[in-house]
Amino acid sequence: MAEQTNFIEVNHLKIRFPIRQKGKQTFITPVDDVSFRIKQGEVLALVGESGSGKSTIGRSLVRILEPSEGTVKVGGQDVTHIKGTALTKYRKVAQMVFQDPFGSLNPVRTLERHLMFPLKKYRGGSHAEISQQVEDLFQRVGLTPVNEFRAKFPHELSGGQRQRVAIARALAVNPAFIVADEPISMLDVSIRAGILELMNELKRDFNLSYLYITHDLASARYFGDRIMVLYGGRVMETAPSAGLLEKPYHPYTRLMFAATPGSDWSIPLPETTNEAPNLLEGRVGCPFAHRCPFVKDRCREETPGLRELAKDHHVACHYAEDLV
Amino acid sequence: MDARVPVLELDDVSVVYDSVSGPVQAVSDVNLKVYQNEVVGLIGESGSGKSTMANAIMRLMKNNARLTKGTIRVNGRDVYSMSKKELRTFRWSEMAMVFQSAMTALNPVMTIEKQIVDTFRSHRPSMSYKEARERAVDLLKLVRIDQKYLSSYPHELSGGMRQRIVIAIAIALEPSLVIMDEPTTALDVVVQRSILNQIQELQKQRGFAILFISHDFSLVAEFAQRVAIMYAGRVVENADAKTLQLGQEHHPYTEGLLRAIPRLTHEEVEIQGIPGHPPDLLNLPKGCAYHPRCPFAAEACKQVRPALHQLAHALVECHLYDEVKGGNMAWPSRQTLSKSTT
Repeated sequence: MAEQTNFIEVNHLKIRFPIRQKGKQTFITPVDDVSFRIKQGEVLALVGESGSGKSTIGRSLVRILEPSEGTVKVGGQDVTHIKGTALTKYRKVAQMVFQDPFGSLNPVRTLERHLMFPLKKYRGGSHAEISQQVEDLFQRVGLTPVNEFRAKFPHELSGGQRQRVAIARALAVNPAFIVADEPISMLDVSIRAGILELMNELKRDFNLSYLYITHDLASARYFGDRIMVLYGGRVMETAPSAGLLEKPYHPYTRLMFAATPGSDWSIPLPETTNEAPNLLEGRVGCPFAHRCPFVKDRCREETPGLRELAKDHHVACHYAEDLV
Repeated sequence: MDARVPVLELDDVSVVYDSVSGPVQAVSDVNLKVYQNEVVGLIGESGSGKSTMANAIMRLMKNNARLTKGTIRVNGRDVYSMSKKELRTFRWSEMAMVFQSAMTALNPVMTIEKQIVDTFRSHRPSMSYKEARERAVDLLKLVRIDQKYLSSYPHELSGGMRQRIVIAIAIALEPSLVIMDEPTTALDVVVQRSILNQIQELQKQRGFAILFISHDFSLVAEFAQRVAIMYAGRVVENADAKTLQLGQEHHPYTEGLLRAIPRLTHEEVEIQGIPGHPPDLLNLPKGCAYHPRCPFAAEACKQVRPALHQLAHALVECHLYDEVKGGNMAWPSRQTLSKSTT
């Protein structure tokens, strides 16, 4: 396939939250200097532990959150600080699917109304047209027979079916980009594959771009074209899925590989502390230094930047080459 | 025949919840044994009855739950024929439990020291505070947590540290059975791995048996020696963990799970979900509860509950194995994907 242009461009994204510490106002930066690109029809999988900043990045991309610094460009438009009607218009471009399908649907609304609301607001048309679109959406996400599902309430559905409704609702505005924040982690194992398969089909049929947020490397590899590993709000490693699988460089990535159940990676796993990374603004050094089995003095003093070690394979570690 | 000593014996156990819409059969006719020194995994989807079973063993069931049938014996003693007083001393000294959420299992307004010391002192009234504290220090050492954290409150610790402390408290009185209900689900993979390694080490040192409950198939298959798979309240398969791979004879549900999980293996493998959705316990399908989702479902499956069949490495409740070698598992073979970069 021909080289496509980047549909989403994120440059030096930084998100800052105020906290109070010992009576003084300070800031934490759960996302610090993160840059990446996503092409049309491409899936970028964002992998990291809880607190690594992956959901915060997702939220700032659909602009539920406003970034503190840096820029977010989607389809050539700078959406970093848009407001009002511009933001409303942007909702037609980017949509989000949340982790918890029990919390993201309104319990007192029928499924039909869940879909009619965005259709009316963003696409309009006569009642018959909207009803037809509802039917198409239900069909598309595999909730059939449609007439039975129209009148149902969320509590009558299983987790997998609810997530299908959430996906249909995101599709209602005909978006180009979907942020899927752990869409399968709350679902039963037997239905996860079905949801991933549906998202794959939608990607193919509508040339959708995804930011797929997950803590599970195995599903990131399965669904993602590229994988970006996050720790303590910074990018540790980013590579095409195949390249990352072939040769993970960063110590954190390698720890995750070895720790994932069912993996056939036998990288010895030295004991590390499990204290949370420091997220305070102005921190220096590698965020992973306190847990890294290979840490050296330089890691605590100098923040490593991303370096390209193989084609499209970037690693933020001073000593990456020496470790593999 | 079996010379090993069972620590936990479940005989025909059924548990029912009373609900406004009628009785809900959460666990049906479960037979399971856990032997000394053994790690048995219990896998199931939400609503399969795995946590209900754990609570039933500990006799910690909710008010609307009843054991309607069967017996539960731990170290040969019937848990449900004990008096409240006997149960109080029996629990924790012979069977203990690690709950999923360490944050709620620990008391937020008590220091770690107080919580461990209390465990000792309430079960060993003759133990002095000083002695109990020494034991607490030893326990923390055992789970590799610095003793300076004895004076901390739970919220001051990370999730992984809290879960280690919950484990330490569970093994404090050296029980012979520890039930672990999704002990690492809330943790990230690296921490999960280091805690599992630690549990394994402790288990070898102290020789207690573990009933390890989880929905994570790959994790249990790696961690346990034997795995019981629950579906709609029944144990549909009880298998040697090493045989949990495709190509071996299993329950169709087990096969389905094996196909449904993306794995981090060098070779990429196509995954395939199980069609349909988990059963409604209020309205269970007749016959085999799995038949609406099963690719092999025959007429018999819709009418008659299948019997248990002893296969080479597993006990399986399925009609496929009714006749000798009657099952022809003609699933499409797992294809290796060479994912293109489109």
